[in-house]
Amino acid sequence: MNERARMSSISILPIVSSVLAIVMAFVIGGIFLEANGKDALHAYRILFERGLVNGDGLTETFKKMAPMLIVSAGLLIALRASVWNIGIDGQFMVGALLAGVAGAAVAGSVPNPLMWLIAAVAGIIGGMLWAVIPALLMVKFNLNEIITTLMMNYVAVNVCAWLVKGPFRDSSVVAPQTKQIPLADRLPFIPGTEVHIGLIVGLLCVVVVAILFRSTVYGFCLDVVGRNRKAAIHAGLPVGRLAGSALILCGAFAGLAGANDVLGIQGLFKANWDPGYGFTAFALVYLARLNSLLLIPFAFFFSFLLVGGDSMPRRADVPTYFVGMLEGLMLICFAVAVYLERRWHAISERIRGRPDDRIEPESSSGPSALEGLEISS
Amino acid sequence: MGHEIASPPAPLPVGRGEIERLTCLGDSRPHCHSERSEESLRGDEVTGMRERKEKHVSTNLGEVLHCEPLVSTWGTSVGTTDDMTDGTATTQERAMVQPIVSMREIDKRFGPVRANDKVSLTLYPGEIHAVLGENGAGKTTLMNILSGMYQPDGGTIELDGKPITIGSPSEALAHGIGTVYQHFTLVPNLSVIENVVLGTKTGFVLNLSKGEQRLKEVLTEFELNTDPNVEVRHLSIGQRQRVEIIKVLMRGTRVLLLDEPTSVLTPTEVEGLFRILRRLREEGVSVVIITHKLEEALDVSDRVTILRGGKNVGELGPDDIASAGRAGARQRIVETMFGGMPAAAETFQQHVATGKTLLELSGVSAIGDRGEIAIRELSIQLRAGEIYGIAGVDGNGQKELGEIIAGQRKTTTGRLALDGTDYTNAGVATLSRAGVGYITDDRLGEGVVPGMSVAQNAALKTINRSPFSKGFWLDRKAIEANANTLIEQFSVRTPSAQTKITLLSGGNIQKLMLARELAMDPRVIVCNKPTYGLDLKTAQFVLQTLRQEADSGKAVLLISSELDEILEISDRIGVIYNGEIVETFERAQVDIETVGRLMLSGRAAVAGSAA
Repeated sequence: MNERARMSSISILPIVSSVLAIVMAFVIGGIFLEANGKDALHAYRILFERGLVNGDGLTETFKKMAPMLIVSAGLLIALRASVWNIGIDGQFMVGALLAGVAGAAVAGSVPNPLMWLIAAVAGIIGGMLWAVIPALLMVKFNLNEIITTLMMNYVAVNVCAWLVKGPFRDSSVVAPQTKQIPLADRLPFIPGTEVHIGLIVGLLCVVVVAILFRSTVYGFCLDVVGRNRKAAIHAGLPVGRLAGSALILCGAFAGLAGANDVLGIQGLFKANWDPGYGFTAFALVYLARLNSLLLIPFAFFFSFLLVGGDSMPRRADVPTYFVGMLEGLMLICFAVAVYLERRWHAISERIRGRPDDRIEPESSSGPSALEGLEISS
Repeated sequence: MGHEIASPPAPLPVGRGEIERLTCLGDSRPHCHSERSEESLRGDEVTGMRERKEKHVSTNLGEVLHCEPLVSTWGTSVGTTDDMTDGTATTQERAMVQPIVSMREIDKRFGPVRANDKVSLTLYPGEIHAVLGENGAGKTTLMNILSGMYQPDGGTIELDGKPITIGSPSEALAHGIGTVYQHFTLVPNLSVIENVVLGTKTGFVLNLSKGEQRLKEVLTEFELNTDPNVEVRHLSIGQRQRVEIIKVLMRGTRVLLLDEPTSVLTPTEVEGLFRILRRLREEGVSVVIITHKLEEALDVSDRVTILRGGKNVGELGPDDIASAGRAGARQRIVETMFGGMPAAAETFQQHVATGKTLLELSGVSAIGDRGEIAIRELSIQLRAGEIYGIAGVDGNGQKELGEIIAGQRKTTTGRLALDGTDYTNAGVATLSRAGVGYITDDRLGEGVVPGMSVAQNAALKTINRSPFSKGFWLDRKAIEANANTLIEQFSVRTPSAQTKITLLSGGNIQKLMLARELAMDPRVIVCNKPTYGLDLKTAQFVLQTLRQEADSGKAVLLISSELDEILEISDRIGVIYNGEIVETFERAQVDIETVGRLMLSGRAAVAGSAA
């Protein structure tokens, strides 16, 4: 009901503004390129060809899509409950490290599916572990989770680097890394493709989250907390526990994404390996307007951006960072689009005029925020 | 009236003009006021309009030239001018003094509601003017118009006799009209001096040390013995309010509006505030205080304007107050505010509450959102089958009382028992299961979840119970069916159960909230302002529903600032004032004027009427 209501009642305008935001980001990015003496059209053609058209590129895109889907499904849970988990990258790393260690430890001695399961569980535990600390700080001491999760990222980088250079180091190689899981024991490909089954795991994650918000009490309660915390308190919901659990769940998904990358692509955990999915996931989830099923097309889009962006330095002489800049521009344009959308709603409401006896002129809570602004300016 | 101001305040070392200059941060315009000069020229002004106009011009010139002496009026003129003549100038003289602000026939509509219906307000220089009225009388609207927050739909505002429009609060400030709101606008983690200079037109570089010493003196004058560098969050609420007043004065304010300034203060702080207001009056600042506390209005003001239902219903000038005496003035004001109110006694059938005590609060205290003591040792017994009405002017602890019973607010002392079992601080979920239903007055803020549908909101409070969920899973059919039943039963006007709640009108949201609460079959129903902002028909429906619930054996606590509706359906009535129930009446014994007086003055009213 939730999703359907959302899709039907707001109509297609939100998706339109997301798409417009993306187009605008490309236009502004193109102006930057041109201003720097690059051929913008050429650069974009390379980007699209590599990410979409090229068979090889398409495979890469689908491979990238798996962690994208898992991470953004987790972030969606947190953001729907208005919990800002900036610490996905740290949770991903800890999850990846534990998955790499656990997977390599049991590889060969147990059947592969069991090994994958063990590694996945280890990854999930790692991600949760890294999210539990900020969650407790948030619930018990009311500390802002944005700060704590962000800081935990830096802790994760160094703790993982230490672990991988010390206790968990594979002493047979020079580089600081965990023991490698043999190629034969990694995640198998989806039949007929060269994409490992992580993609299916990712799609499953999105479906699970969609069902969570569509048909479970827990998802409903998270939505209430996210949309109106005071109403959640009024309704007697355990607001702290709900928000904390959303953060921990988000960490679990991030850890699972780490396990996925270890089992599917890397086969090991290297020091300072940080793909930085966290920030991309923010752009992704917001452009998908916190709608679970819309995560799929947007995850595809962002994956191809990353893959295409990788080929831009060589073939178009544009640094890879340009894709990061595009993501940033998309978020800015998206913010503008949301603002314009609100104006549009306000204007169309005024034109239509709506029957309304909702008049509370003496309300003390209403204008007070405005009062503060007006006076101090 | 003049008794408490008979002894002239101690001379002040700095005047306001100096305050502005000392930090060089105030508006550069010289704010020397014609009020004083005009007052001293009062005798000459009887000579006629034209001459007065010229005189006015010349006094304006005089201001510019004699800024210094004017500035020191805090110190000097106080010694020479008798307070009595200032505070209680005769009517003839007053009539000759040009009002500093006159608002004429102000109209303001919010949809179908006329919040201000040809309201006029005349403010003279150097007077303290109280605007009294019940909630919804239009006081705040009128002040918001004067402070530039709202634009009037009709009427004129004149400042010094010249028509002006006030487009925004900053324009109001530019005209010298400054407002201190109920919700302070200070930044808690900036220091006092930083807060005071915040927003003033200054250069890029802040030079705070220059004005610090002088600000210290000003702070002392305002009885604030704090270091200007201390952060505002360490100050008490009363101290913050004074900083707020200083801040507004620094911007060259000569008309100071105070919105319910005493609602958050302790009695001692109230006295301190009034001393300061009297000093400001001596300096020629005109002060408007919006209040519903009658005693305080009589304590401090020279003139009282009374609003009721968005209209002027009376004004008492200084000589009216003087001639009627304090008791007489109080009587007149209460009559004006509550007189002619239908007693509704004939339509009322006495319901004898024979049931057992369902809810008992004993000696309960609680802290409000702003850190003040909102509820003081309050005790209530609520019996099955009765409606207990809590009458009182807004902001006397009603909201906090409702929240305590619902479990949304922790108590600091006392005990809450339901049907004999202790439920003190048990939390919302437990109390709700134990049979307490709470209909909040903050519909959109906490009553409903704006982004969700009618059906989802209808199931909000019981989502984890059957039939809406089975274990982990929602039963969406049951949620929708429940919503459709409630929509039908309470005739909620909505396109469908899937419509977003925010697209419904306030009345329909209220009906849905009532339906949601009653569907949980609570034993104790607490509702705060259940008819606020509703049209008459919906309001009647809500009240009748509550009455039926009580008749079926439930206990209803009706909190409202509308005395009429409390009188209409309650069996017993308690008057709440300053977080205490000051008096309880059986419905049959109610005397409206006594209730009105208690609402406005608390226990002081009883003492006052006995005197």
